[in-house]
Amino acid sequence: MGGKPQSILKNRCSRTRGRAAAGVLDVPDHSSCLEMPLRYRRTTAGVFSALLAVTLAVTAQPAQAHGQLATTTAELTVEPNQVQGLTVVQGDGYATLAWSPVDGATDYQIERTAVAADGTTGTPVIVGVWRPNRQVNNSEPTFADAGFVPGNRFQWRVRARFGTEAQPYSAAVTDTTRSHWGDPAVPGQNLRTQWETALGAQYTSDVNEYAYTAAIDELSERVRVVEIGRTIQNRPINMFVIGYPTPPATPEAVAATNPLLVNCNVHGNEPGDREACFIMARQLAFTDDPATLDRLSKSTMLILPTINGDGRAANSRGNSTGQDLNRDYSLIRQPETQAFVEMVRDYRPIASYDGHEYGNTNTGDLPMLPPRHQNVAQGIFDGSQDMIEGHMYTQGAKDGWWACPYGCTGANVGLGEETILRNTLGLKNVINSLLELRSSGGPTRPDEGNTANNRRRKTYSALWTFQQFLTYHTANLGDITSARAEAITFQSANTGRIVFRGSRPIEAYPAPHPGDTPPPLDAPREDQILDQPPCAYKLTEEQYHGARTDGPSGRQTTVAQRLAAHGWKVIKVADGYLVPLSQPERGLVPLLLDGQAAEGLVAGERIAPTLTGTHNGPLTVSGVACLAGATVRGPIRVQPGGTLIVNGSSINGPVDASGAAGFVLTASTVSGPVNATGSRGPVVLVGNKVSGPVNVVNSAGDAALVAGNTVNGPLNCTGNSATPVNLEVANSVSGPKFQQCARL
Amino acid sequence: MIDTLPLTATPARRATTLAGAALAVLIAAAGCTGPDSARDGGTPAVAPRAVSVTGSLCDQLPADGEPGSPDSLVGQPADQALGWIPVLTTFEAAVRATGLAEELTPTADVTILAPTDDAFAAKFSRSHLDELLLHDTDTLRGLLRDHLVSGALPVAELVSAGTVTTLAGTDLAVTAHGDGARLDVRGDGDHADAHAETVCADYRAAGARIHVINQVLGTLPTTAGDEDDHPAH
Ligand SMILES: [Zn+2]
Repeated sequence: MGGKPQSILKNRCSRTRGRAAAGVLDVPDHSSCLEMPLRYRRTTAGVFSALLAVTLAVTAQPAQAHGQLATTTAELTVEPNQVQGLTVVQGDGYATLAWSPVDGATDYQIERTAVAADGTTGTPVIVGVWRPNRQVNNSEPTFADAGFVPGNRFQWRVRARFGTEAQPYSAAVTDTTRSHWGDPAVPGQNLRTQWETALGAQYTSDVNEYAYTAAIDELSERVRVVEIGRTIQNRPINMFVIGYPTPPATPEAVAATNPLLVNCNVHGNEPGDREACFIMARQLAFTDDPATLDRLSKSTMLILPTINGDGRAANSRGNSTGQDLNRDYSLIRQPETQAFVEMVRDYRPIASYDGHEYGNTNTGDLPMLPPRHQNVAQGIFDGSQDMIEGHMYTQGAKDGWWACPYGCTGANVGLGEETILRNTLGLKNVINSLLELRSSGGPTRPDEGNTANNRRRKTYSALWTFQQFLTYHTANLGDITSARAEAITFQSANTGRIVFRGSRPIEAYPAPHPGDTPPPLDAPREDQILDQPPCAYKLTEEQYHGARTDGPSGRQTTVAQRLAAHGWKVIKVADGYLVPLSQPERGLVPLLLDGQAAEGLVAGERIAPTLTGTHNGPLTVSGVACLAGATVRGPIRVQPGGTLIVNGSSINGPVDASGAAGFVLTASTVSGPVNATGSRGPVVLVGNKVSGPVNVVNSAGDAALVAGNTVNGPLNCTGNSATPVNLEVANSVSGPKFQQCARL
Repeated sequence: MIDTLPLTATPARRATTLAGAALAVLIAAAGCTGPDSARDGGTPAVAPRAVSVTGSLCDQLPADGEPGSPDSLVGQPADQALGWIPVLTTFEAAVRATGLAEELTPTADVTILAPTDDAFAAKFSRSHLDELLLHDTDTLRGLLRDHLVSGALPVAELVSAGTVTTLAGTDLAVTAHGDGARLDVRGDGDHADAHAETVCADYRAAGARIHVINQVLGTLPTTAGDEDDHPAH
């Protein structure tokens, strides 16, 4: 090519076209700057790209591309194939390098050199290798350099390679990296964890965690630390509840703000995310950044640093009994997982990340994966994929972090087990993702033989992810809440088949991104599918209240306690306990209560619908009636002690339940009033169309669920022992909303 | 520490009072914004003598002036010194799990042959390691004792001794290997070919020498090598 000016395609926001030695890589648009629709969708149209593409001729000066251009040695001559336009932008614990691509480059090497206070430089080290599979748009290569000691000053250079043939280095950029977050002169901001103080030589111990956590709690009005439970060895399981100007006072009030959750450390030997959580808690507690404060004013962030404190202290994967807690979130045999699930029940996060580290060296920096179990509502899967592929892949390409799908390395991982939090939360209608931090530096980060470097890269990549998560969450609150509302309504309708085990497919991502090899398909086998869902499961007294042998010695809990921890509705009937499927966590119910479940809790009796066709005339219910897809032309009366479950049915006439053991009405149309008076057990009204008044009065049981209904008439709730709730799924009520239902 | 609290169904506000000393540990030194500020925090005073460690891994471990530097560990109890060497998290956890710290006190000088985390990962599957750390601590204790030698011996003295016997009774043949040593398990049986090399030798702690080694010694079977080494998330 000689020394002629090279032509560089600058099209940061559009179709990317990078050349590799093997041939032209043609990467479809992933809308890195275009508006991304919430629904997980891969845009294939390249119409805009031609409009946005701008061809720039490189002059003798380095291109003023993007970000702040740090100190640059202006080079007056451009060598052939020399990288141009190198910039560096500092993040928290990382530095984003960006440069203009060189035609024919197969990869790039990133070199870092320490610069002392007196300007002398240390030994240059190759700290990074950029490969085309690193990001979704190859036209704007970026690399997040990390692992260095925060606050130190460095000089960076980047060079292209053609195969093994190294090309000339770029001009150097020099900059001082950001110090540990927080002004040492400002109370609160000046807190540091043991890990930070030790410069990564040590992780933050349990004792240091408690002191640090208590200090933030005491010094910040934005933070309340709650102990959600204790580990088997009696360590507190603390959670930061963070809001602006202050976090809401009660779990119910927090739930009303559509909170987001980070679960930082379930496997005790994978502590990298936990350190990021501590730093982020401090940032949120003491930052003056208006954008962050704005986000905290729109939602509440829940940070759970150490669900497995005993395992962290022991450096074991499992808890103190050796149980892998990430195989226990549905069964909740352990006190740690039980506390977690109760917290989810009470605080109702609508989005979540679950932090891990992963041993495979041949993967991206940040493998992620959505809930895949096929019982997860489509919108929850789609929303999770939008968060991962729509946001994290795109933002990762801007900031230089390499997000990719977990399980794309050929290993048989990333499947549909409902015992794994990623899937459990999906089945609880939470948009969420797994987060892995690649354990070792691998071929793309060759300077991580130094353990502290390795630990810093992992933790600051997690911090980047969690910060992005908060940004994504508040920017997409409307879409996330509507996806959740649809999911709750869908699940409560109890329609469609049940899959005991098996995943939704993860669509291949276009090469060269590593997602071009998606995680294993993990489709359900025939014998893992139940085409006709039962109406409910019935448990005997022994099944429901009997002593269990699973769980730690002396700490075993009954099925009743576990279902209560999940927050499920259970109806006491004459000969046992009915668990209706038509409730928000419907997809998880059979996975615990069906005899065919892969890892069930107890084999309940499937209760089939009692009426699926048309009934003319009045209907009186004294025992248990379950209507599914039925038509009733006449009034329904539930007698005291009777149970009525109605899904997807049409009722022409009033529905009156007085003193019912349970009253569940979902996805149905009622012409006439609906009255639930003096119910002794659960009341569930979700996703109905009612032409007439709805009255929920004098219920004795847990809070009635009244969500997503369209009521043509008034909604009246009085005298109930617990205030009815809607799980933030609003009802559309044409008439007035009275008393306890005023805010539903 | 077992079961002294009932299960809590209702989250409770933590009542917290911060002791001044506890808070002081947490606070970055004012006026410093860089790594200098961290240098003092939590790190013991630098001992008078400069410690020279040798081996290929030393360059990758905390250096002079950094927390966990060889100088900073002189005079620390051995179990605490282990906690500052970042490649020894498994070994350090094993010492705590087995209560072996008492045997590492200055009352009886000791040489610690401490395998790296990589060495443990190459030796034991993840579930086996959990089993050892959480349940089978007697076996783990025996394994650790096969990494302890009576007397605080510099690596040069190990080499000149030619043979040393671990607290578990295993004879190790010691030969020079670069600036360090190669340790060969002596004798009969399945483990006769077991050996390790020092990768960063001659850390000094109170009454102890710590030599970081690249293989797990002892007589336990190798269980690493399948998918369980890196279990799914
Ligand atoms: Zn994990």
